Amino acid sequence: MAIPIKSIASWVLRLGVGGLFVYAGIVKIWDFKAGGSATQAFAMAIQNYQFTTKLTPILLVAVYLPWLELVTGIALLVRKWLSGALLLLGSMTVVFLIAICSAWARGLDISCGCFGKENNATNFPLHIAGDLVLLVAIGLIAWLEKDRGQAAGGEAGPLAGS
Amino acid sequence: MLRAALRQALILLAIALLPAMVSGAIQLKWHHEEPLAPDEVRAATAAEWGTDVIFVDARPKTRFDAGHIDGAILLNNEDWETLSPKFLDVWDPDKKTVVYCDGGSCDASREVAERLKREFQIKNVYVLKGGWPAWQSR
Repeated sequence: MAIPIKSIASWVLRLGVGGLFVYAGIVKIWDFKAGGSATQAFAMAIQNYQFTTKLTPILLVAVYLPWLELVTGIALLVRKWLSGALLLLGSMTVVFLIAICSAWARGLDISCGCFGKENNATNFPLHIAGDLVLLVAIGLIAWLEKDRGQAAGGEAGPLAGS
Repeated sequence: MLRAALRQALILLAIALLPAMVSGAIQLKWHHEEPLAPDEVRAATAAEWGTDVIFVDARPKTRFDAGHIDGAILLNNEDWETLSPKFLDVWDPDKKTVVYCDGGSCDASREVAERLKREFQIKNVYVLKGGWPAWQSR
């Protein structure tokens, strides 16, 4: 019996990327150390990027983004609406990359806010490298799943559309 | 393929919207504010102090030049030797000193505040909660 390497690789990557987004979403919603909402701390992290001084768009992103990370992460893990999840995860990662690069270029001394309340200033090159690895992983999942779909008859894969 | 991906993405965006709305309504206490450390001050309070405050900008000069609180004096750890005399020229013992940086986790304001206390024995030194971004959006 042939070992389904591509299936295993896809499963491992989905577990890693999906798990990462689920974790990132949860810790931005709830601060387990403080035992309370993490939304305000995340709003402050967004505010520190200084894209806008208006509080309303910052709060809307602070409330919505963690849930989007959580939902798309779960979708990736359970292999439901996979192409949509990959599109959103890829788009979010690109936005995070732009935000981090922009903060670095402006010389901001801030924490990235990627995983809730953080007390350390961001190591920008490390974060950019991490986001690039994430983008490659998302691309790899799309390629592996597309391949699986074709191997299964062209329409059975979750990337074939429904 | 792309159409299906966009449709699925829209479904996921909508699914995320529901708990976000509920969560936003329940858990976000709009008037609740994080507690202050003993030497921290909120932007609104510092603004109320008016002319009784000397603002110290602890960020690098490039950030200071890009925008700062009106009347703030540049004083950072990197150029301490050259900048501190300028601060001492305008320092008034009857005024409060409020130090700020880029907010969030930036340590520059706290470091400069500690140094002002330690080296110049200045007592009424505060760190601006949320830094420059908080001042802009107060």
